[in-house]
Amino acid sequence: MPFTDHSDLFGAVHEDSINRLVRHIMRQRPSLFNYATPFFHNNLEMFCAKFEVDDKVLKAKNPLFTEQEPLPILGAPLPIGLNFCLQLSEAAIDFHPGNVFGLPPELGSLTAQRFALHLKGCMGMDCPTKEIINELLPHIERFLVSRQQLAAGETKEQVAGTFTHYTPPMAAVDNRDRERQRTIPLPTRQLICFCLELYAVGYFEWGTVPGSQQVWLKPRLDGLEIVDIEPRDMENAIECYLTTVLKLGILPRLIIPLEKMVLDISKEFQKMGLTLGRTVQLEPSAVPADVPNNPAVEDDQIKAFFKLTVTGGA
Amino acid sequence: MADLTVAVSESAFQRLFVVLRDSIRWEAQDSTSFGPFTAGYHVKGHLEGGSVDFRSDNSVLIDELDVRWDQFQFTLGLDIPEICVGGGCINMPWPIPDICLPRWCVFSANPDVSISPDLAAFVAQELSVAGRPVVRYYDASVPPPLIDPCGLLRDMLVNASVIDPFPDHNQWHIHLNPDFIDLDLFDFADIVGNLIENALTAAVTALLPGGWVRNLILAIIGGIADFIRWLLDIPDEIDEWLSDLFNISFGLGDLLIQLVGEFFGACVPLLRVDDPLEVLAKEISTSVLLSGAPVELVPVTVPVRNLSVRVDDVEMVVQADVGG
Repeated sequence: MPFTDHSDLFGAVHEDSINRLVRHIMRQRPSLFNYATPFFHNNLEMFCAKFEVDDKVLKAKNPLFTEQEPLPILGAPLPIGLNFCLQLSEAAIDFHPGNVFGLPPELGSLTAQRFALHLKGCMGMDCPTKEIINELLPHIERFLVSRQQLAAGETKEQVAGTFTHYTPPMAAVDNRDRERQRTIPLPTRQLICFCLELYAVGYFEWGTVPGSQQVWLKPRLDGLEIVDIEPRDMENAIECYLTTVLKLGILPRLIIPLEKMVLDISKEFQKMGLTLGRTVQLEPSAVPADVPNNPAVEDDQIKAFFKLTVTGGA
Repeated sequence: MADLTVAVSESAFQRLFVVLRDSIRWEAQDSTSFGPFTAGYHVKGHLEGGSVDFRSDNSVLIDELDVRWDQFQFTLGLDIPEICVGGGCINMPWPIPDICLPRWCVFSANPDVSISPDLAAFVAQELSVAGRPVVRYYDASVPPPLIDPCGLLRDMLVNASVIDPFPDHNQWHIHLNPDFIDLDLFDFADIVGNLIENALTAAVTALLPGGWVRNLILAIIGGIADFIRWLLDIPDEIDEWLSDLFNISFGLGDLLIQLVGEFFGACVPLLRVDDPLEVLAKEISTSVLLSGAPVELVPVTVPVRNLSVRVDDVEMVVQADVGG
């Protein structure tokens, strides 16, 4: 059957190509997917999820992750923190019929015209040893006493202070950076790692927006599941919150008006120096008048259908 | 199943072809002089007729596209040096007035002789061309052959800023390879048909100012003119049919045009796709390092595999895979 039996222009993208594209981006722009404290520059093996990096990234000496300040120790009077890493280690999409990854039982099977998204994120955090805490504690106490910052109020005894400011190396060329106080990470020997997997099922629909005269393409969320968080009620609460954020906070921002999907071919020719006597436009095929679904999520692909309209002139 | 598929219907091509054909018009004029001689031209034309046909043998036929001239005027002039006789005065003694002779000049105009025929009614061309898309892979690491006629042509076009130079990375190239080109420099059928139709239309319009009778007669005249065009075009149709059948142009002129077309088709790609293809441009980021120091992030590229273009009788399909 021809691709264009119900349209003038047809475009389709297979799920495998999107997933391969994501893997290419992960390998070539790792700093978009990995976030960690500078400690990890010399301790790449301590990342929770191992990741591949393209040779050209290494040759260009691109950072493998985006640097983050250490996780601050709340309440501590000194600017100290813990090393941590946060990674998006897997991302995949599956168009109906589902065959790229299995969905958790809570979401059921992937039904017609639906797509599923799978994300896996890992976080690793330093947990300071008893020895380090015991070593630091006297300094913290001395600092608090010297600054009179105790809950018990002021003391009569005057205790000399201690050095608190971190001096960045000269390599840090930005003067503002030198002036800024940096959080000092505690020595790290081992990370506690955990990973979370998130599955979401969505679909597209055309609809109106109150007050608007045109139709809009809207991405919708069918269901969301975070795998195996305990206790159960906490998992439900987090999922409910994420679902609400997506449905009311993020997805409404992603709706696209029809006018944004119309390509004015006449204007494109005009840019090339040829004025067409008529208006030629490429616009999405209407649902359900022209095609039953547009975009259609089927055969492991996302398919788009467009029609060419010629108006005006002779 | 291919990773990426784009298909365009024959019907969409046909509608776009009609809009393009009706929109393309051209006009040029110039004149120059060589001593006493002057020469100039003023031409104005447009396209008519023609059709686009996708065929099941992976080819596209643009059939019988007419080139029509609204003005096809050449001017030749000759400026003959001026010759004058007479003039001058004879001084007479007072009180007799001076006697002045009349002065006669010939060839005073510039140019003195000029002809400027408009041949628009007698000039018409018709073009039929069939071609097929061919995909080739340009491997930048392979050195060019010792004798490289394509390289010479490409260098000329690059120097003239017609095409971009070939890059130092690999590319997919989509070429259009002509099967046959049939260009009738004098479309005899249409010239005669137009002349007859114009003459009869003018005569009927003069005799009958208006009304349904005139419209009916004009419709009949149009039909007769079309029949004459069809009749006179039969030899050309046979020529085109044979050219299409054997995938070669008949006639020395058409053969030469086809050879030139094939040379261009083989050497100059219509469309190029980089391999690998850049999906995220290189970027100077100041947010990757805590210090805010700028970092030049390398571009993200993906390999393009198995690019193909095929045509059948209903659509043109472009497919490609994203490499692993």
